[in-house]
Amino acid sequence: MSAGTDGATPGSGSLKIGATVGRFELERAWLVDPASGREGPGEIVVTDGILESVVWLEGAEAAGVTDKGVVVAPGFFDLHAHFREPGFEDAETVATGSAAAAHGGFTTVALMPNTAPAVDDPGVLGRIRSAAAASGSPVGVLVYGAVSAGRAGDQLSAMGELADAGVIGYSDDGAPVKTAKLLRSALLYAGMLGLPVADHAEDSELTAGAEASEGYVASVMGLAGWPVAGEVQAVSRDLAVLVDALGDEPRARLHLTHVSTAAALDLVRRAKASGLPVTCDVTPHHLALTDEWIAGARRWAWEALGAAGVPRDPWADAALTASPYNTSLRVNPPLRNAADAAACLAALIDGTADAVVTDHAPHTVVDKEVEFGKAANGISGIETALGVLLALVDAGKLPLARAVAALTSGPAGVVAASSRTAGIAAAGPRGLTEGAPADLVVFDRSDRWQVTPESMLSKGKNSPFVGRELPGRVLVTIAAGRLAYEDPLAAGDES
Amino acid sequence: MTTVASAQTDKPVTAWHHRHLIDVDVVSWPEIDLIMRTADEMKGILARPIRKVPALNGRRVTTLFYEASTRTRVSFETAARNLSADVVSVAPATSSVTKGESLVDTVRTLEALGAEILVMRHSVSGAPYLAAEVFGGHVLNGGDGWHAHPTQALLDLYTMRENLPGGDLRGRKVAIVGDILHSRVARSNIWSLTAAGADLWLCGPATLLRGMDRWAVAWSGGAIPGHGRFNVTSDIDAALRDADVVMGLRIQRERMQGGLLPSLREYAARFQLNAKRLSLAKPGAIVMHPGPMNEGVEIAPDVAISGCSVITDQVANGVAVRMALLYLLAGAHEAAHTEAAR
Ligand SMILES: [Zn+2]
Repeated sequence: MSAGTDGATPGSGSLKIGATVGRFELERAWLVDPASGREGPGEIVVTDGILESVVWLEGAEAAGVTDKGVVVAPGFFDLHAHFREPGFEDAETVATGSAAAAHGGFTTVALMPNTAPAVDDPGVLGRIRSAAAASGSPVGVLVYGAVSAGRAGDQLSAMGELADAGVIGYSDDGAPVKTAKLLRSALLYAGMLGLPVADHAEDSELTAGAEASEGYVASVMGLAGWPVAGEVQAVSRDLAVLVDALGDEPRARLHLTHVSTAAALDLVRRAKASGLPVTCDVTPHHLALTDEWIAGARRWAWEALGAAGVPRDPWADAALTASPYNTSLRVNPPLRNAADAAACLAALIDGTADAVVTDHAPHTVVDKEVEFGKAANGISGIETALGVLLALVDAGKLPLARAVAALTSGPAGVVAASSRTAGIAAAGPRGLTEGAPADLVVFDRSDRWQVTPESMLSKGKNSPFVGRELPGRVLVTIAAGRLAYEDPLAAGDES
Repeated sequence: MTTVASAQTDKPVTAWHHRHLIDVDVVSWPEIDLIMRTADEMKGILARPIRKVPALNGRRVTTLFYEASTRTRVSFETAARNLSADVVSVAPATSSVTKGESLVDTVRTLEALGAEILVMRHSVSGAPYLAAEVFGGHVLNGGDGWHAHPTQALLDLYTMRENLPGGDLRGRKVAIVGDILHSRVARSNIWSLTAAGADLWLCGPATLLRGMDRWAVAWSGGAIPGHGRFNVTSDIDAALRDADVVMGLRIQRERMQGGLLPSLREYAARFQLNAKRLSLAKPGAIVMHPGPMNEGVEIAPDVAISGCSVITDQVANGVAVRMALLYLLAGAHEAAHTEAAR
């Protein structure tokens, strides 16, 4: 690797995943520290798992160090991932998911409870924790509990017992909290426990049978439309119910995950401005991809946006270069148009969106190598999130520091906002803090990597980027002082 | 692709370059013209006492129909047999596809069994692209979901050219009336008729036009190379007024359960192609329907069998156009040209 390393450390190829990092030095890199808001040339030293020193370089020492090369950032935190265990181990396990997360620069993940059985009682949570411990990976695994028993949308799950066991919130993700009535109960009860409800906002009646975002592309391709109203209606419902619940339980908190439309983000923006305790996140794919990819276009969302914010026409532009109906693009909520993607970006920049989450949703070939309308929803995205955000940075659409914050201090802030989880490590500042266990990612912006089924560590190869290059190669990921990932080339090229 | 203005003056093409035919969207106007000319030859064959030529002798055509459609399947199989191809029919009810075998596995099996041209009908939009990814031969789309039905659009075009003076669609008003939203016939016809330079109107109840207006608006600036704009309206009189061609589409009963239509009676009252409404069209306008018809719903029985109806022509032309496409896809066309050049 281009930075100096030393001893029994990453870079020597002698350290095993999970082992405490004995010594790791990085000279003349670009440090990004969202906790202090500082970024610039610097050096770090990790000794015995502790971030021993962080030195900011100035003057002649800093000369030639730019943010276009090796970057050091706090370890990333994914607020929304699916590791499929228990129940769907063919698609992913906690072990493979953790390895994939570390490859993506993530040192902490929050797993959604739509496993089989669902995480609706502490027993299932215990199984996930055991799998995490057995994996040997140092990636921190947090878990959401289900809102409803069996995620069936009828009765509340064992919410109090789940809180005692350490869930960080509740969600029926994979589906919305079924009814407004159930959501009201969940917000009240979770608020009492000091935890948030994270909703997948979708009006399932409006979206029944939907295959792609309703609009021009879906119309041409004969795909059943998922209307914007399906998300707006659900977000409106959730916000109205939150207001109602706050009257009885001031600690009620709502998190809206993977918001994908301009109209819904506007509702969140206004709700936040009026002081409602709501947070939200957006995904890399809704920031960077659009529905025209389903037709075969392969340009970034910002390249598909025309004058006056109107999406360009991929047929008029002769932009269709790939085979249509690629099922790795089937995701829920669906890929929207370039104007909605731009709205997601604007929301990220103005703080309406608190975080970027991967919604990492690995699937087997059996579930994806089928007709588009029969394919499972989801993108295997935990390894590509950084690359997608760096593509936005490279295009001048997103400052590097904001991209890093969206993966670190942003999600930490969401967790810190709930009283029960405010004190946990994941809610910490996620900075480059001297004297604390090293929790960081080192990536090289001057390098790129080829996304292939072989280069992905996730069992789920359902990535729309397979066969393409993404900017930013992760060299080393250190979680809680232990090695989580090391680039095979970086490990070898020291000698 | 060239623009409409130049398309119809382009030099005729003599070579066929597409390995599959899944939709007409990627077929240029000169290539469509080649299909039409080849269909002319096939029609000549159909007029002979013995309607059979050895062009595809020994070639294996397999029809894989995940959706029952006897008329379309028989049309393809008749076309294949007229060309002396060996025909194998696979339908879900009689094969392992009902046991949940994946499309990919089925296609691989059919290839292993010798299929060279796969004629496919499927209820999910885009399914033939998946088949084409794993099939070593040629995929000919016999209709996928709401997406495309290219052989129908091409036989429609053939029938229109045959029945319009000069055989030219440019400036001719074509009205397609019915359930546009769920219609693969309408979608493929949008591509072929806007390439032909027709003045295309799509008409139906607002609930059955959903999304189509966004498409029409996107194309309203004429930005799509080789394709003109088209109109979308719920005003049946505006759609039919001075039309040269009127095409009805099937209205399915499920649309009532889906909350998209109050009743078939109400549909018939407002949108049925009947003699009174058709009097708005140009004298001599032709009436078309891809079948199967619900007589008394989208079309009045007397209209369906009237002198202006070319519905039976569509059925006959369907065989000729499908023969032409099988012939072109199989490479028999190139082989014949190479032979002639020697
Ligand atoms: Zn979700």
